[in-house]
Amino acid sequence: MNQYWILVAILLPIVGGISVRFLPYKKTWEMYVFLEAIMITTSLIVWGLILGGPTEVFHVVHFFNDLSISFKIDGMTMVFAGLVSILWPLATLYGFEYMEQHDRQETFFMFYSIAYGVTLGIAFASDMLSMYFFYELLTLSTVPLVMHTLKREAILASRKYLYYSLGGAAFALMGMVFLMVYGDTLEFTLGGVLSADKVVGHENMLLWIYLFAFLGFGVKAAIFPVSEWLPTAGVAPTPVTALLHAVAVVKAGVFAIIRLTYYSFGTEFLRGSWVQNVVMALAMFTAVYGCSRAVKESHIKRRLAYSTVSNLSYIIFGVTIMTPMGLVGALCHLVCHAVMKICSFMCAGAFMHQTGKKYVFDMDGLGWKMPIVFCTLTLSGMGLMGVPGLAGFVSKWNLAAAAVDSKNPMAYFGVVCLLISALLTAIYMISIAMRAFFPPWGFDREAIAGSTDPGWKMCLPIMLCALFTILLGLFSSPLVDFFRDVAAGIY
Amino acid sequence: MGQSVLILFAIFVPILFGVCILAKPGFKTRKSLIATATVGLVVTTILSFAILYIGDMQLELFAIGENMNIYFHADKMGCIFMTIVTIVLPLVGIYAFEYMGHYEQEQRFFGFYLMVYGVLLALSYAGNIVTFYLFYEMMSIFSMPLVFHFRTKEAVMAGLKYLFYSLTGAYCVLFGIYFLNQYTTTLDFTAGGTLDMSKVAGNEGLLLIVAMCMIVGFGVKAGMIPLHAWLPNAHPIAPAPASAALSSIIVKMGVFGVMRVVYYLFGAEFLRGTWVQYTWITLTLITVFLGSMLAYREKVFKKRLAYSTVSQVSYILFGMALLHPQALTGSLLHILFHAVIKSALFMSAGAIIYKCGVERVDEMRGIGKKMPKIMWCYTLCSLALIGIPPASGFISKWYLATGSLATELPVISWLGPVILLISALLTAGYLLPIAIDGFFPGPEFDYANLEKKDPTKQMLVPIMILAALAVLLGVFPNSFVDYMGELVQLLF
Repeated sequence: MNQYWILVAILLPIVGGISVRFLPYKKTWEMYVFLEAIMITTSLIVWGLILGGPTEVFHVVHFFNDLSISFKIDGMTMVFAGLVSILWPLATLYGFEYMEQHDRQETFFMFYSIAYGVTLGIAFASDMLSMYFFYELLTLSTVPLVMHTLKREAILASRKYLYYSLGGAAFALMGMVFLMVYGDTLEFTLGGVLSADKVVGHENMLLWIYLFAFLGFGVKAAIFPVSEWLPTAGVAPTPVTALLHAVAVVKAGVFAIIRLTYYSFGTEFLRGSWVQNVVMALAMFTAVYGCSRAVKESHIKRRLAYSTVSNLSYIIFGVTIMTPMGLVGALCHLVCHAVMKICSFMCAGAFMHQTGKKYVFDMDGLGWKMPIVFCTLTLSGMGLMGVPGLAGFVSKWNLAAAAVDSKNPMAYFGVVCLLISALLTAIYMISIAMRAFFPPWGFDREAIAGSTDPGWKMCLPIMLCALFTILLGLFSSPLVDFFRDVAAGIY
Repeated sequence: MGQSVLILFAIFVPILFGVCILAKPGFKTRKSLIATATVGLVVTTILSFAILYIGDMQLELFAIGENMNIYFHADKMGCIFMTIVTIVLPLVGIYAFEYMGHYEQEQRFFGFYLMVYGVLLALSYAGNIVTFYLFYEMMSIFSMPLVFHFRTKEAVMAGLKYLFYSLTGAYCVLFGIYFLNQYTTTLDFTAGGTLDMSKVAGNEGLLLIVAMCMIVGFGVKAGMIPLHAWLPNAHPIAPAPASAALSSIIVKMGVFGVMRVVYYLFGAEFLRGTWVQYTWITLTLITVFLGSMLAYREKVFKKRLAYSTVSQVSYILFGMALLHPQALTGSLLHILFHAVIKSALFMSAGAIIYKCGVERVDEMRGIGKKMPKIMWCYTLCSLALIGIPPASGFISKWYLATGSLATELPVISWLGPVILLISALLTAGYLLPIAIDGFFPGPEFDYANLEKKDPTKQMLVPIMILAALAVLLGVFPNSFVDYMGELVQLLF
């Protein structure tokens, strides 16, 4: 019985989102209430499911052989679904105020809501095919969000996003086909599904296939050389950038890579092979590359997008350590980065919404005019830097602990990369705080005269995320223990 | 808990006062601001003296995560640093009440000053490396606004340079912490080291690299070559009270970090005779010499003092690097003496800038006639820093030199004292001419327009107290030497 609720959780936001277009509203706030109610209900259902614990596989549609759309709840599901179900209602609330001035709000919120259902679909999917199905759907449902403003650059950006994602998915599909042939089943199983007798003699080919599939899913996770779409997609309205391009979509990519590495190919098969070195090197390079691009970028959202590129690679670095501890580190950063980055994006959006400006050099002195926004932005920046007491420190600690524990010299070097990129993070985040709070003498006071903090609908999510950043930084033990159980296969 | 809650109070009272001062939109009068700051300083000082009096208390707060406890332990080593902080910071604060009156935004200055006070105390009490690192980063961040207080372009750049150098150092340290987490039995500071030898076996090479990383990382704050370049930029550009605090206390926290890592985590035995020890000694000797050289040719007074700090702090690091009880005693004494002397020197430099507006050494001819009291203090402190008996610097340098000779390291055992002596000569060369020209300006000096410009008591008294300490600590060093001797026994 429990399992039908999974379907409800996935379908409710999709159906609810579509109905937004057709329900007759007199006032916009009625739509807001309706949407928020749907989001919160869905999240409550999701949390109910998570607290209910792991379930058996539940087949919804059966195609042929063992191909089906099916769902289950396991440890990874709990992490990812739990994360998005907390952040989605908050980001939606933020979106209501942010989108006030925009046209075509119904369309926007329709796709915003659909994307929630689809993301949950990815989280609950129990095998490669189901995940792949929702993965493609996620691309399709978020393209309209990227091109929402219908300006030329938005359309170009969404086209780029679409091509990159579809191309990546094609590679991933290839991996799935090989898994079908060389694996016992497509269902995600911690430790991998490759069948030992079928694999014999084909190891090297399978490693190549893993690399392709990794890069395919790596498109959404914005790994170098396929990361360019992410900064470009920053033209989307901020609720989209904050939630989808810092959490849902990109983390779906990472989630898929975890599923591929730990639950399909299996770390036993991959660890110590050349392909591990290749993917780890890619992750390390991207971590430093993203940060150094971010330092050069003065458009605030593009700067944060490059920062996302870098931080996603931290997570992937944790994944490529290919030990249970590596998975713990990766999951820890997956959650911590989500909270911090959504917070900084929301602050950046608040800045853009309140002042109509986009660049870091327009922020002079604004810290004293918009204290809530800039204090939280500084806080989340410090979190990203890894100041102890905030979420980033804990997750980097776990990543580094895993790297040191793995006894892999390359992973030691990865720790160096993490720290270099932490220093670069300090440069690009602290320079924002410096401008905002300690502008040089004689800055243009007129330009910021009328700026104030935004209303409660924007401030509340921002402050809650900042609170999460602090709480995760101070009391991470229960969460990390849970991740350990996940990595050990208890959930 | 019980009494040990005092630690929490001592840390958070000044931080809270600082936050309140920063958050308050504006004080009605200057007096109320000063009063608030005074209350903050006094209460904290009393609290930390109470802790010093009770001694050896521990407080375990909570765990951020596995192996990441927030844990305070006021042990003997911590007490030394706490004493220095509580002697120097309140005196500098009193001095600042007058000094900062001339400048804008003093509210912000005192806010951050009090926060730094709390953080420095927290660093002294930190009982494990995670807590230490937490407050170490906070110290870098909170002291940065003190550096760029004047907010000229130059000051802001110096502030950022300070921060990024500090963070580079901090991340080197963090790199080490990650490895120590794996290879030690506990991250709590334990005299003699906590390396888990069963795990270390076979990985010595790796751990030596890690140790070097951590020494260089903390060495950034201590102004050790190769990462010293921020110091001569950041210290002079800050307002004089901030330079005094930075140069006498905050650099010492880098030293403290090295102390904790080498003697309380790795253990002296592990590093003795390795390439790490030799590299470290070489770096410190180069720094001692180059710092003095650069100070000697520097014409801007405060910059000269900043270079002097670079050189003097490496005396301390040199003593620590020898891994010898006597040399370490010398280091500990020099930590104390240098803190007292350098803060007094920076404050007198500030007084000269404040009253006469001169910043360059060559403009200071006859300054002793204008500000005799300040210059007397300055001269006493200079003599102490050079190491002329019976002033304090002599004692510490004596221990450093004899300690160096007592080690049986090839070349270094005699080269060290030679370099210390050369550097002492250079110290005399860059400090004393100011006093000589100041008191004996020569016949061309315009005596007719001479006016006494000694500052008010509020600025003068702190300098005088510190100058008196600089001399008296050298005359009566026994109790300190005994205390430090006992402490050093624990570490070897």
